[in-house]
Amino acid sequence: MKIACIIPTYNVKKYLPAVVAGLQGLVDEIIVVNDCSNDGTGKIAETLPVTVLHHIINRGQGAALKTGTEYALQQKADIIIHFDGDGQFRFQDIPIILRPLLLNEADVVFGSRFLNLSTDLPSFKRYVIMPLARLVNRLFFNIKLTDPQSGFRAMNQKAALLINWQQDRMAHCNEILIAAHRQPLRIVEVPITVIYEHFGQRFSGGIKILRDLFFAHLNK
Amino acid sequence: MFQELLALIVIFLFLGRLGWQLYKQQIPRGQFIFWLIFWLTGGVLVIFIKDIDNFVAQLGFSSSGIQILFYIAVAIIFYFIFRMRLKMEKIESDLTVITRLLALRSPHNKPSDTVELDSDNFDR
Repeated sequence: MKIACIIPTYNVKKYLPAVVAGLQGLVDEIIVVNDCSNDGTGKIAETLPVTVLHHIINRGQGAALKTGTEYALQQKADIIIHFDGDGQFRFQDIPIILRPLLLNEADVVFGSRFLNLSTDLPSFKRYVIMPLARLVNRLFFNIKLTDPQSGFRAMNQKAALLINWQQDRMAHCNEILIAAHRQPLRIVEVPITVIYEHFGQRFSGGIKILRDLFFAHLNK
Repeated sequence: MFQELLALIVIFLFLGRLGWQLYKQQIPRGQFIFWLIFWLTGGVLVIFIKDIDNFVAQLGFSSSGIQILFYIAVAIIFYFIFRMRLKMEKIESDLTVITRLLALRSPHNKPSDTVELDSDNFDR
């Protein structure tokens, strides 16, 4: 069984070597998508034991993940993991997120920051932004997962072929959740811990996500 | 009367600029025709503004003709901005497809002189 890990990167040269080192041995192939970084991330990635795909124009995290996922499918990966390149996710959570897939209990596994309390989420995010996002997911898309913006996920080949997302920027998280729920896939959530160095997605970011999803819907 | 004259002078200036752009081949003929019709229509509406006033009053509106024209203009501008936004989304999406194709065409695979990494260095 071939396990591929996709790391979308944009200006993360400070973190990337350590992230790759941590993932080695846990997965079979590491695919770094350099989203036109201008800090030398691409050059650093090329010295690491990974496959590097270069975006010649910055297209956003969603686009980079899709490029990596398409490449992994071309390489006949059986399981595909989406993992951040900025050191926010923990390597210890990789076996946890893989377990339901390896036991054939799920087709898609989403990591959730809310199934345990180990993630030190900023209060405004925990008590305002996330509940609002959860409400939107529940009301409009009938999604009942605890984490409305999970970026740490794993899926089997079948799910990767069925889930098709178009959002290039941050709205891809929601789009993947929605797309997964619209397909006949077994979805499981597992607890993960995210390490925050900065606030991350702000309230204005949430508004942008809604706007992007709205226009994407109109363009269909 | 003065305001109408001012509006006609502005329209005349825009028409002059339009003709100059066509002469210098800065805009294609199709665009020239579109903007020519646009400004001429504007000029005709300004000339017949009194008649539009009467027409609007007959319809039962309390606003003057120029106000109605203004509201319609704002609505049309909003529509065009909306259309432009949709078009931009499509272009952005096409750009991503091209970028992805290029990235997938030339993957940089594991170097033979791989740097050995030690995960213990990761101090998280």
